[in-house]
Amino acid sequence: MKKVKIIAGISWAFLGLLLIIILFPGLNSFSVSVSKLPFMKLNSRYTGGDIARQMITANCTLDIRKPVFNGFIKDRSSGFVQLDWHGNLPETIKDSVDFDGDGKIDFNILINRKDPKTAIEPFNNMVKKVLISTPTSYGWAVRVGLDKN
Amino acid sequence: MDNSLKITEMRKSIGKSLLYTLPMFLITFIFVTGGRPNFSDPASGLAMLTVFLLVNVLYFLMHYTGKTDRYRAILFIIFALSLSYSLIHNMLEVRKSMSFSQADILECKIPFCHLVIPMMILPAAFTKSIIFPGSIIGGFANISSMVVLWLIATMVLGRGFCSWGCFYGGWDDGFSRIRKRPVIKKISELWKWMPFAVLIMVMLTAALSMMPTYCSWICPFKAVTEFEQVTSVESATKAGIFLSIFGGLVVVLPVMTRKRTQCSFLCPLGAINSLSNKITPFTVKIDKTACNECFKCVETCPLFALTREDIKEGKVSLFCSKCGKCVDACSRKAIHYGIRGIPAGTLKNFSRNLFLFVSFLFMSMFSAGSIINTFHGLLKLIF
Repeated sequence: MKKVKIIAGISWAFLGLLLIIILFPGLNSFSVSVSKLPFMKLNSRYTGGDIARQMITANCTLDIRKPVFNGFIKDRSSGFVQLDWHGNLPETIKDSVDFDGDGKIDFNILINRKDPKTAIEPFNNMVKKVLISTPTSYGWAVRVGLDKN
Repeated sequence: MDNSLKITEMRKSIGKSLLYTLPMFLITFIFVTGGRPNFSDPASGLAMLTVFLLVNVLYFLMHYTGKTDRYRAILFIIFALSLSYSLIHNMLEVRKSMSFSQADILECKIPFCHLVIPMMILPAAFTKSIIFPGSIIGGFANISSMVVLWLIATMVLGRGFCSWGCFYGGWDDGFSRIRKRPVIKKISELWKWMPFAVLIMVMLTAALSMMPTYCSWICPFKAVTEFEQVTSVESATKAGIFLSIFGGLVVVLPVMTRKRTQCSFLCPLGAINSLSNKITPFTVKIDKTACNECFKCVETCPLFALTREDIKEGKVSLFCSKCGKCVDACSRKAIHYGIRGIPAGTLKNFSRNLFLFVSFLFMSMFSAGSIINTFHGLLKLIF
């Protein structure tokens, strides 16, 4: 039994040595394999959620993302909807947003990029306030707080 | 006379030490230079050569002198300093600031580090997603690569990751070496369980808030990497907290106690790494027949991993980071590196040589990139 333990211990140590030797040369391929695991995707609280629809104008595109309410076990009562503007943005952005796709405008949004100030005019009880409004590398992003009531 | 005999006993011959260094020399040569040293840019060539020589000289000295911790700590501390330097340098170039903005968070551009891993576990299990605004694959410091590096290193080295791989540990290790004698000598042993409490707290709060709460509110190493832009009372409070913890646990207490207090009392990943000590092939063993119970090892341990009771029972606790300080302090070689399954007191040299090769290889390959970047940056600044 003692010999078996010794052989097992030494084998495990040499396996460890092998793992460390191949770790760095194989890091890229190991990482790609790990990135394909089902849980290796960013939570929508960080990505802003999937894009629900796009509004394309002459100069820029507005991505309206799906509202995000997700929580640890179940959905939360409060969340947000993220809007991303890409392209050649005007100094003042003014848009009407229907985030739930029911054909009715949920809020108007006005962004003065120079100031910078962001105001919303809600038409839906779920819409609360602007949480984040910031310039990004691709244009401008806004998160508007929502409440499920 | 007695002391000189002991030192002579510990030293190996130059030829034998060079022979032990040869595999490290070859592997690091291939890894650092890609097999083809390129001196077309003299600064980067010189930086590469310096790091290659530094790593191999340190490894040679470990074998030649028989001392581990002293030479491990040199590379470990340089790693911590150079990683902070290259990260800050990179951020100043890209963002013109050490702080990240809301846009960086929204675009998921925050570099990932291993300290986030404990907070990922519950949300990954329950929501099948990662609660961190970083990149899953590709780009700088992506989540997948860091998870792979940590997972394999922890499986093989256990809590040894904290002394041979963690690019933050060098900070409090460095500060703990500044004074020759500790000012504060008595610290309750109970504090060493604190990382488990922090681990449970951050795992639960991160899951409930779906936010990496340790990174947002506590992590002291934001002081030497990056932090949230101070734009509100909340972000100012966060900055106050991490700066205070950095000052207290990473600088002041290590200097006063000669212990790695941040690693011992706070780090939640250290708690997970401690548990992994149960499966790792490499351990630290106590040969009770050789031990004269002088307890120098207990005094010298920087992580409160040894108590007098442990020594009497002949076992090392799960908090051990295999830094080698106790091994170096023992004049009778009663405490030594070992391999699971091999009884204490046997195959000491074989176990030490194998452990040193594995752990030092990991540290040198993990640290080489950032140390080369730092040396390269410094050379460009000087010339």
